[in-house]
Amino acid sequence: MSASERARGDPGATPFVPSIVAEAGAGDTLRAFRTAALLGWRVESNWTDPALFFIYTVARPIASLLLFVVMIQIVGGGANDEIRAFVILGSSLWATLVAGIAGPAWSVLEDRERYRMLKYLYLSPASFLVLLVGRGVARLAAGAIGTAIALVFAVLVLGLRVDVARVDWPLLLTTLLLGIPPIVAIGVLLGAVCLQTRQESWSYPDAFAGSMFLVTGVVFPLAVLPDPVEVVGLLNPITWWIAGVRQAVLPGGPTSVGGEGSLWTVVTGSASPDAATVVFALFATGALITLAATAIFRLSERRARDQGLLDRTTGS
Amino acid sequence: MSAPAALAGSPGRDPRADAEWSRRRVLGNNLRALVGRAYPRIRGMAGEPSWVLFEILLPFLTTSAFVLVYRALAAPEAYVGFVVLGGALSAFWLNVVWMMASQLYWEKSQGNLELYFAAPMNLMSVLLGMAIGGLVMSSTRAIAVLVVASLVYGVAFDVQQWLLLGVVFLLTLTALYGLGMMLASLFLLWSREAWNLANLMIEPIWFVSGLNFPVGRLGMLGALAIATIPFAVGLDAMRQLVFAGQASLLGTPSPEAEALILVGMTVVFVALARWMMRTIERMARGRGSLSIRWQ
Repeated sequence: MSASERARGDPGATPFVPSIVAEAGAGDTLRAFRTAALLGWRVESNWTDPALFFIYTVARPIASLLLFVVMIQIVGGGANDEIRAFVILGSSLWATLVAGIAGPAWSVLEDRERYRMLKYLYLSPASFLVLLVGRGVARLAAGAIGTAIALVFAVLVLGLRVDVARVDWPLLLTTLLLGIPPIVAIGVLLGAVCLQTRQESWSYPDAFAGSMFLVTGVVFPLAVLPDPVEVVGLLNPITWWIAGVRQAVLPGGPTSVGGEGSLWTVVTGSASPDAATVVFALFATGALITLAATAIFRLSERRARDQGLLDRTTGS
Repeated sequence: MSAPAALAGSPGRDPRADAEWSRRRVLGNNLRALVGRAYPRIRGMAGEPSWVLFEILLPFLTTSAFVLVYRALAAPEAYVGFVVLGGALSAFWLNVVWMMASQLYWEKSQGNLELYFAAPMNLMSVLLGMAIGGLVMSSTRAIAVLVVASLVYGVAFDVQQWLLLGVVFLLTLTALYGLGMMLASLFLLWSREAWNLANLMIEPIWFVSGLNFPVGRLGMLGALAIATIPFAVGLDAMRQLVFAGQASLLGTPSPEAEALILVGMTVVFVALARWMMRTIERMARGRGSLSIRWQ
């Protein structure tokens, strides 16, 4: 066999075509995403039987919801139904948000520190970012189940009144869909942080999400915050996501963005943003955070390769 | 003496006599194990500067969010103090859940557990070392949240029994970390359930323990929490001592009675941890699951 024949390998085998690995098409990307999402879902759910998984999925959001409901009950009694509904909806949505934020970050830590698979995933032809997004979406789906059940619990047990006929379904669907990319993008951002940090970073997504409670109008209107902090809130896509869902589900209810004394009302003169403004703001801030997260992730990925962090394991 | 010579023992002595350790030597060895296990936790704080942001600044913001909920509801100012104290003490609970209860499971996943079992030491000294290291880590967070939040939100403390407050604080920590040691041995038996169970022990426990409100307001559920969860009873006792005379804190046992509950919890949890460690180690050896990873 000549040298050129040897280089080509076994004549009966499929020839190696460099472009297959050099340029992954949309189909390959989609396949990688689907595989990662499926893997993420199995990691999330197959550790126990469905009944226990169900309890696990709903216990945290319901407990979180009850924490706020009792706070309101103790201070304000049952009188203020509007505030109660405001808090219940925001708190229920939080389960999706926390899960979406934690997904990519925990995937990095799990695959690197626990399963020690990160380096092999990194070597696979699929884009590392696509794999992380897939894992993040799986966790987001588990969080969304928690949100849905928490809302059903709120309606059945806590007496949350939602008039289905008055729900603005187009706004709800648009907002929910537009909210997914920025939530996963924030998760990717934290994934980029966790690529650089040690095993203790397990608690970082929770800490980060907890701090966002302050600036996104989840359980109180932004108007109670100082103006500079309110600006941070208005630049955050989560603020608009929650405001949009709230506006769709509880039309005419209190707003987290506008209202008396809020920066929004002072600047625009309107009591609260209309549906189109909410959707536009969500889209604009979401696009911004998604682009920023992608750029930061790429930087972090490059540094992790330079510093040999992809297969690092730590302990404490 | 060179290392190989040291390993060979004293020439001419019976190896069985070398294997007989005096009580003093056993104690010294376990103390060294304790310090050795606490060291990476304390040293690790300096090795990971990002913890200042994620462990101090962000939890402060979370506490602030709860404070602002009360402010938005025009709640009495005492509730702001309840939130700040709850926010500070939550650092210990998170540490117990993530860095005590789940730790032996992590060690198993990382391949260190076999080394612990093979080393000539009592595993309880490893657990105690973990607890002390974790205590230092979470104390920094708790103090930072308490001091900064108190200054920012102008919390007025009214402490009339400093000694009892100190005793209750120490008892709360010993009971909490005793529970952590017990859960660590229990989590050893489990695989991925351990991680998910740890995850499950945050918001539900905070709710039944009254993280942001007096636990007495939960009625029977609160009473059950006081009887079983050290975080609940410690937080309630400390609130009663730090905000003396607050009418909203009535309805639960006195701080003295709660201190006794904490003593009982400490004894029970540490004894159970010791018993469970032995029992579960034996079970795990029988099942061959001590070195099984990634399940």
